[in-house]
Amino acid sequence: MITGGLDLGAGVIKGVLLEDGRRLLATASAPSRGIPVQAARHVLDTLGETANIAPDDIDYLCTTGFGRYAIPERNLQVSDFTSSARGAVFLFPKTRLVVDVGTQASRTMSISETGKVLKFKMNEKCAAGAGRFVERCSKYLQVPLEEMGPKALASERPKLISSVCAVLAETEIINNVAEGVPLADILMGVFLSLSQRAHSLMRYVGIQPEVTLVGGLVRNVGMVKALHDTIGMDLNVAPDAYYAAALGSAVLGHARLQKLTTAPQGVGG
Amino acid sequence: MTAVVAGVDIGSTTAKCVVLGEDSRILGKSLSVVGVDIVKDAERALEAALADAHLSRPEVSFITGTGYGRYKVYFGQLVVTEISCHARGANFLFPGTRLVVDIGGQDTKAIRIDDKGEVVDFAMNDKCAAGTGRFLDVCANALGYDVGEIGPLSLQARRAVKVTSTCTVFAESEVTSYVSRGKDPKDILAGLHASIANRTLSLMQRVGVEPEVTFTGGVSQNEGMVHALHRRLGVPVNVSPLSQYLGALGAALHGRERLSGGAA
Repeated sequence: MITGGLDLGAGVIKGVLLEDGRRLLATASAPSRGIPVQAARHVLDTLGETANIAPDDIDYLCTTGFGRYAIPERNLQVSDFTSSARGAVFLFPKTRLVVDVGTQASRTMSISETGKVLKFKMNEKCAAGAGRFVERCSKYLQVPLEEMGPKALASERPKLISSVCAVLAETEIINNVAEGVPLADILMGVFLSLSQRAHSLMRYVGIQPEVTLVGGLVRNVGMVKALHDTIGMDLNVAPDAYYAAALGSAVLGHARLQKLTTAPQGVGG
Repeated sequence: MTAVVAGVDIGSTTAKCVVLGEDSRILGKSLSVVGVDIVKDAERALEAALADAHLSRPEVSFITGTGYGRYKVYFGQLVVTEISCHARGANFLFPGTRLVVDIGGQDTKAIRIDDKGEVVDFAMNDKCAAGTGRFLDVCANALGYDVGEIGPLSLQARRAVKVTSTCTVFAESEVTSYVSRGKDPKDILAGLHASIANRTLSLMQRVGVEPEVTFTGGVSQNEGMVHALHRRLGVPVNVSPLSQYLGALGAALHGRERLSGGAA
C-alpha cells in the first residue's frame, strides 16, 4: 500500500511516498513561487520517477500546509500541526516537543507519549520569527541560503540583533556590516534571533526532551547550533525532518486508508 | 541677547531644522536625508536652515536637539524628547490640537496634549515597521513606485483591496500576490493606506481620540494617508506643509522657553 504526503507550504512544496506506513520510498521538493498547484504536480511527478511508481499506483494522497485544499485529487487533508507532529514522532518516536520553523510561520507542539498533540503555539503574524527573515538576510548580505549556516559556524562573537522586526533588523544588520562586524558573527546573530523567538514559543507549551526540529530550517547547521545554544539542550535533527509535515500526512493517510479497507461499511470516509 | 533659536530634529530617515525669530516667525528651515554619520548630518541640517534664513551661526542664541538621534546634536544646549516637541509644535500651528498623530519613517506615536501643548499621555509603536513610513516605502517599492507617488495614486482607487498582513514583510508578499492576480495598483495602494489608518486608530484609541487631531511626521505629507485617516476617524485632521517640521519647530519653541527662564 503506497500513500503520498504533500506539504503545500508558503515557500516550498514538499512531498513523500510511503510504503505500508513504514518505508520511505521517495522525497521531493520544489519552490512554490506563487503557483503552488503547479509546483505540487511537479513534486508528485518527481516522487513517481524516483520511486518508479505511476501516479495511479498511489493508493491514497493526504495533503497538509497552507495550500492543502488546493489539490483536487487529494483523499484527505490534515492541519500543519498534526502532520508535522506526526512526522517528528515517525522519525524520533520519543519526541515530546516539536519545533517547526517554516518560511512564513513558526510553530511548536508538545506531544503525548502516544504521539498526540497536547498543546501548541504559533507565530504567523510577524516575519521576524520565520524563515522569510533568513531569506531576506541572504538577499541583502548576498550569501546564498545554503551557505549561511556553514558560514555562521565560524562565528566567535555572534552579533546579537536588538530589533524585533525583520524590516528594522535589516537596517541594523546593514549598519553592522558598515561597521565591519565579521559576516559569520552577523549570520550567527540572525540565527540566534530566530532561536530566541522559537524559544519563547517553546516555553509557552513547555520544554521537555526529546526536542525535535523539523521544517525548512532543519538543514541549516547554523540554525541548529543557535537553537541548541539557546535552549541548552540536545535537539533531534535528521535530513528527512525537512519533510516532516509531508511525511506525517502520509503516515496519517496510511492510517486512514487502513481503517477504510478493514471496515467495509466505511466507504466514503 | 538676540532671540534667534533653532530646533534640530534627527529622525530615523530625515533631519529637520527650524530657525525661529524673535516673534516666533520661521526664518529658515531645512530637510535632509540622514546617513551613517549622524553628527555630521545634524551639523548640515543646521547649516542649511541658517543659509535659508540668511543668518550665521553666532546669531543663533539657543539650539535644541530632538528626535531619534537627539544625543548626536552635540552643538545644542538642550535635548528634548520628540514627543514633547511634536506636542509643542502641533499646539503652535493648531492651538486647538488635543491629539497629535506622528507617523515617521520608523515609528508611530499618538500623543494626547492639553491646551498649552503639554503631553498628557502617549502611546507608540517603535518595535516594528508595521504602520510606519517604512511600511509604505517597502510596499511602494514592491509596486515599482516612488514613495512620493503613492498617496495621490491611492486617491484614484475604485475599490480598495483588503490588506490583511500586519507585518511589513508579509504585506510585501501580499502586495505582490495581488499584482499577479491582476488587481489595480491604485486599489492595492488604497488598501495599504487603509490598513495603516486602522493600525494608527488603535494606537490613538489607547490614549483617547479627542478632536482636534493634528497629523505630523513625514507621512503627514502623503495626502492618501491624510484621506485614509480622515475616513477612518470620521473627523478632519489638521495638516500643514510644515507638519514634517513640527518636531524641529517644537524643539525651537522649547529652547525659547528655556532661554526666557520658563520650564522646558
